[in-house]
Amino acid sequence: MILPYLLRLLSLCFASFFVLNVAVTLLVRVSCKSAIRFAESRTSVTAARLLLALRLLPFGIAALFVVGLGLPSYLWLEPAAASERIGAICAALGILGAATWSISVTRTVLSLLASWRYHRLCRVFGRQTQVPGESSPVVLVENEAPLLAISGLLRPRLLISSGVLRALSADELNAALRHEHAHRTSRDNAKRLLILLAPDALPFLRPLRRLEHTWSNLAEWAADDRATAGDSDRAVSLAAALVQIARMGTRPRLPFLSTSLLACDRDLSARVDRLLQPVPIIPAPAGKPHPRLRIAAFLLPACLAAILLTPSTLSAVHELLELLLH
Amino acid sequence: MIRFLKNRVAGPENPSQSLVLGSLEFELMEILWSRGESSVRDVVSKLSRPLAYTTVMTTLDRLFKKGLLDRHKSDRAFVYLPHLSRQQWERTRAENLVAGFLSGPNPSRELLLSCLVDAVGEHDAKLLDELEKKIRNRRKELLRQGQP
Repeated sequence: MILPYLLRLLSLCFASFFVLNVAVTLLVRVSCKSAIRFAESRTSVTAARLLLALRLLPFGIAALFVVGLGLPSYLWLEPAAASERIGAICAALGILGAATWSISVTRTVLSLLASWRYHRLCRVFGRQTQVPGESSPVVLVENEAPLLAISGLLRPRLLISSGVLRALSADELNAALRHEHAHRTSRDNAKRLLILLAPDALPFLRPLRRLEHTWSNLAEWAADDRATAGDSDRAVSLAAALVQIARMGTRPRLPFLSTSLLACDRDLSARVDRLLQPVPIIPAPAGKPHPRLRIAAFLLPACLAAILLTPSTLSAVHELLELLLH
Repeated sequence: MIRFLKNRVAGPENPSQSLVLGSLEFELMEILWSRGESSVRDVVSKLSRPLAYTTVMTTLDRLFKKGLLDRHKSDRAFVYLPHLSRQQWERTRAENLVAGFLSGPNPSRELLLSCLVDAVGEHDAKLLDELEKKIRNRRKELLRQGQP
């Protein structure tokens, strides 16, 4: 008796997740252009946050609905002894939902494995050392390849090649290290993991690819701004480091869960031009949020949960799920 | 009529061959691309060197047979117009060239790829030189600002 009950629950969860994910993804896709335009008018840090939030919005809303409303309503209102059958449409949507999840989980596991393997290789063939301007130990790889990256999720490590150490001057190296440090403090690798984990509504079409690409560029700009902190000399040194690394030839292919100083060639010119602007860009200080904002951030979800978890809301959701099931 | 039918039945020439143009053919195509629909007389008047009317007429006829021009009669004389725009013609030529290399043996594929990589590399070097120049200028500017 328990098996059909669980099967119905799983089908409903996956189907409702898929439907909501597709619907919100399409809405985000439609508003993508204007959202990017709006984001680009803000500072790079705010813009990157905004686009990341937009990328994760479909997953967030769908997951919130399933976990916050779908599951409680089903567990509370669905009798265990009911002998309902799953409708064809619900089953198909459930399969699609499960498929998108499987693709996303597989992608994440493969990326984690690739990242771990790469990190291990660098540690085997390199050695831990200290570099001036960097407080934590870095992995130095004896190679001429232009390698300067942050790899790892929980304890991100800086990977650097001896070629880069030789090619950059002290100022350039300092600016480049500050850039990588900015990636580490803003946990960009963890954000990449979140993007991987949030299943694409239509994995083979990837409708939010443009959003991801723009976020990636803006995350680089944000790291540039944090690294230079409004200092024109440092900005010029960072620009020189970027060009120097670009001159070193083909960069090693890094796993998805890592961030390197020069991730994309196409963005190089724009980044250098930004860094050489006559008026340097000063990023907003990363302080604690305003107390009112903190109170609102706590009260809003609490109120929302109180309204949503009322019996009338749950029974309405249950009716909706019954409709989907049949 | 017989010639027309013969042309239609024979079908077009090898497409990659038909896109290769001699110098006169190219000059005539340039005139037609810039002027659009033109008669033989119009084309002759636009040529950079004096050429016989019949030479131009024969060349235009050859271009028509190659499928690069369309024509229709107006007042007992043919009026020619390009079948492909210049951009389309260049694109098709490039596609045929690449397809020819890729369908060939391995060495020719590698040759094509290495040429492309070299071309991209040269472009990159130019861009990096430009960026470096900008950085040098900005450094000078900052130095000037730093001096009292």
